[in-house]
Amino acid sequence: MIALDIAGLRSGYGRAEVLHGVDLRVPAGKAVALLGSNGAGKTTLLRTLAGLNPARAGTIRLHGAAIEHRPAHARARAGICLIPEGRGIFRRLTVRENLAMHGGKKNLDEVIDRAASLFPVLRERLNQQAGTLSGGQQQMLALARALVNDPTVVLADELSVGLAPVVVDEILEALNVLRAEGKSLLIVEQYVERAVAMADYVYILNKGTVVFVGEPRQCASGAVFEQYLGGAA
Amino acid sequence: MREYLPFIVIGLATGSVYAIAAMGLTVTYTTSGVFNFAHGAVGMIATFVFYSLRVDAGLPTAPALAVAVLGVGPAVGIVIDRVLLRRLEGATAATYVVVSLGLLVALQGVAIWVYGPATRTMAPIFPHSTFRLPGVNVGWDQVILVAIAAVTGLGLAVFFRFSRLGIQTRAVVDDPGLTELEGLDSKRITTFSWMLGCAFAALAGVLLAPLLGVDAVLLTLLAIQVFGAAVIGRLTSLPLTYGGAMVIGLGQALATKFVTGHQSLAGLPTSLPFIILFAVLVFSPRGFFQEVVRAKGAGSRTGRRAIGRRFPWPVLLGLVAVALAVPARLNGSQLLTATSTLGFVLVFASLSLLIGLSRQVSLCHAVFVVFGATTLAHLRTMGVPYLPALLLAALIMVPVGAVVAIPAIRLSGLFLALATFGFGILAQNLLFLTKFAFGAGSVVRIPRSTVLGIDLAGDKSFYYFVLALVILGVVAVEAVRVTRLGRVLRALADSPTATESLGINPTAARVIVFCIGAFLAAVAGGLLGTLTQVVNTSTFDFFQSLVWVTVLVTTGAATLGGSVLASLLLVTAPTVFTSATFVQLQPVFFGVAAMLLAQSPNGLVGLVPRPDFTALADRSAWRTPSRRLAERSLPSELATPARVGA
Repeated sequence: MIALDIAGLRSGYGRAEVLHGVDLRVPAGKAVALLGSNGAGKTTLLRTLAGLNPARAGTIRLHGAAIEHRPAHARARAGICLIPEGRGIFRRLTVRENLAMHGGKKNLDEVIDRAASLFPVLRERLNQQAGTLSGGQQQMLALARALVNDPTVVLADELSVGLAPVVVDEILEALNVLRAEGKSLLIVEQYVERAVAMADYVYILNKGTVVFVGEPRQCASGAVFEQYLGGAA
Repeated sequence: MREYLPFIVIGLATGSVYAIAAMGLTVTYTTSGVFNFAHGAVGMIATFVFYSLRVDAGLPTAPALAVAVLGVGPAVGIVIDRVLLRRLEGATAATYVVVSLGLLVALQGVAIWVYGPATRTMAPIFPHSTFRLPGVNVGWDQVILVAIAAVTGLGLAVFFRFSRLGIQTRAVVDDPGLTELEGLDSKRITTFSWMLGCAFAALAGVLLAPLLGVDAVLLTLLAIQVFGAAVIGRLTSLPLTYGGAMVIGLGQALATKFVTGHQSLAGLPTSLPFIILFAVLVFSPRGFFQEVVRAKGAGSRTGRRAIGRRFPWPVLLGLVAVALAVPARLNGSQLLTATSTLGFVLVFASLSLLIGLSRQVSLCHAVFVVFGATTLAHLRTMGVPYLPALLLAALIMVPVGAVVAIPAIRLSGLFLALATFGFGILAQNLLFLTKFAFGAGSVVRIPRSTVLGIDLAGDKSFYYFVLALVILGVVAVEAVRVTRLGRVLRALADSPTATESLGINPTAARVIVFCIGAFLAAVAGGLLGTLTQVVNTSTFDFFQSLVWVTVLVTTGAATLGGSVLASLLLVTAPTVFTSATFVQLQPVFFGVAAMLLAQSPNGLVGLVPRPDFTALADRSAWRTPSRRLAERSLPSELATPARVGA
């Protein structure tokens, strides 16, 4: 089963085309690592999938249904969840209000229980303004908040940026929990090795096109990374 | 103390109405990032509908009020959000200022067109009986106004704090994109807040109408006084906005009491909100105001080609040729119109330095024009010869331009527009009747005289004199555009931070451009004053500043052609098409056109097509072709289903 099926996707900003026809598949319940050097188009791809950038051509299918013409909020309700680069939280709202923000009609207590099961520290901070949390706690909240809608596909954009290593462990462990629950993941990550270790499949994006698809063991030699990531691994 | 009590009661009542309007303004600003200069005009339109239903159609008060506040207000809100703002996503603050100004000018034009300029009176809505508190009589209507404001204010607070939609609205304020990712339609939530905000404007207008009369100009401008309250609330805090409205209401009432018997201060009570507005903007610490900035839409500024970077010899020479040939073919009154058109070319050219070149929306340009004329009149009375007097009057306006530039140094986009807006009304209310301007007679005379041996009394000779000076002025404007100062201003408009990091002092450039603008506008004012020989307080009133901005944006603020077209449309057109409908609908046209063209690079002039080779370049071969990976190399799970197991 393919959860997210992308074919011939083109996208960009103004006159500049960034993605020149990307084909990518995320199988259901699997984790896919999306790698590439700066400017390869990783963030643009995730934003286009989530509906924040318009797709100019190509198709995006979520569990077989075409979604490329639907607005961002409709895609979120259909089960796509992007955790954006930076801190994906409402800084001026309290933690509780952040968790209360969602499209469906869920019981807030259940939502809070779920968030606290991933990150217990959030329960202690419910009435604190989100912008005053530490960087790590903000990212935890972003992850917890993103899961409120119970998505089937999670797009994670550089969750570990600017965080202490111990916090990174906790965040990435949460991604593993999600996968164990059967969610499909598309992960953009600066720690290439860790992303590859988590992933079932690896895609490498270069200048807006997919240049490599394979299983993690195929990258073990490092030759692929040498070529496209400047030996980042 | 006791004699102040009645004024405190009045102040609390009017402050309450201001609070209702100001909270509505703040709600729309924080959720959409668009400061609605037309907030008062929205209330005015709703009030006129209320008048029509209640007085003309004879409906009972309650249903008429419900239709105006719950029907018309929200409906206008929907139109503003869905029709006007949605296509502008990612525009600059200056663009939004122009759009809402266009809306203000258009709505007011429509109201005057439909209902006429006369003030209509209306029976009170609430019981007029009074009761006695120690030392003062209080009207029940005043109690009701205070109660309505308190209840709506509390209601808003509860709504934003506890209700689901309220929290979602605050989330949209924080980050609209993220709200979308959460599965919420941020656009619908923004539309809702516009409905809410405009309903508040409508409510305030309807409540004010029986007190002030139903008058298109008065209601538009009075609700604009609410800007002061909103600025005290930093445009973001509802409780502070509420308090600010009360301070302004009380301050105005007490000032009314205070100035009784001081003729020279008569303008103080009405100016108080603007004094507060201007003072808060100019004296508040840096960083006090955080502009609500929406993420720019993809490519909102790309594909814009260089405009106005070459000296416009063809336009200038063509203009001069036509202008030289024209007098021979015109009769007396047509020649006056032609002269006036020339004068306005200079007005618009000087305005285009601010709006087109440095993207600073200045809403007090008429002040420079007026004081250019009145100062010239005073200097002539003192016996200064004409030409030196004209230049000296303009020079005197230079420091005024520098004063206006103070907010320009510290504030950007919206807040500069607000500060100049406040300054424009302040100057009109406080200074017009002093001896610096028109004096108590509210009129000045500027007789024509002989300059350099040429007698300017004749209309034809005066025409050529104006032509000569306007050409000099226009050349100066175009010179600024193509020289270093112009480049610096353009760069500042694009990115102040980047410009400063190059070692360029942004302050000097901004002050200089305001000074040049003020100087040239004052010259134009002097010339236009000399043309009519009589200038009174209503010749160039404050509202003209707003209209000029919409006209210039409509025709094109970036080039000389735009200034010429602006002058032709504003001054010449009404003398050619003299029907009353045309004249009345002229502001509506400019308002609507400014809304439509606010984001275009150079207005109507910019719509004239020029050869564009960028599309060709887009097709060039360097672009990476789409490359599909060979399916065979894919892990089986990722291959197309048909191939699995094949």
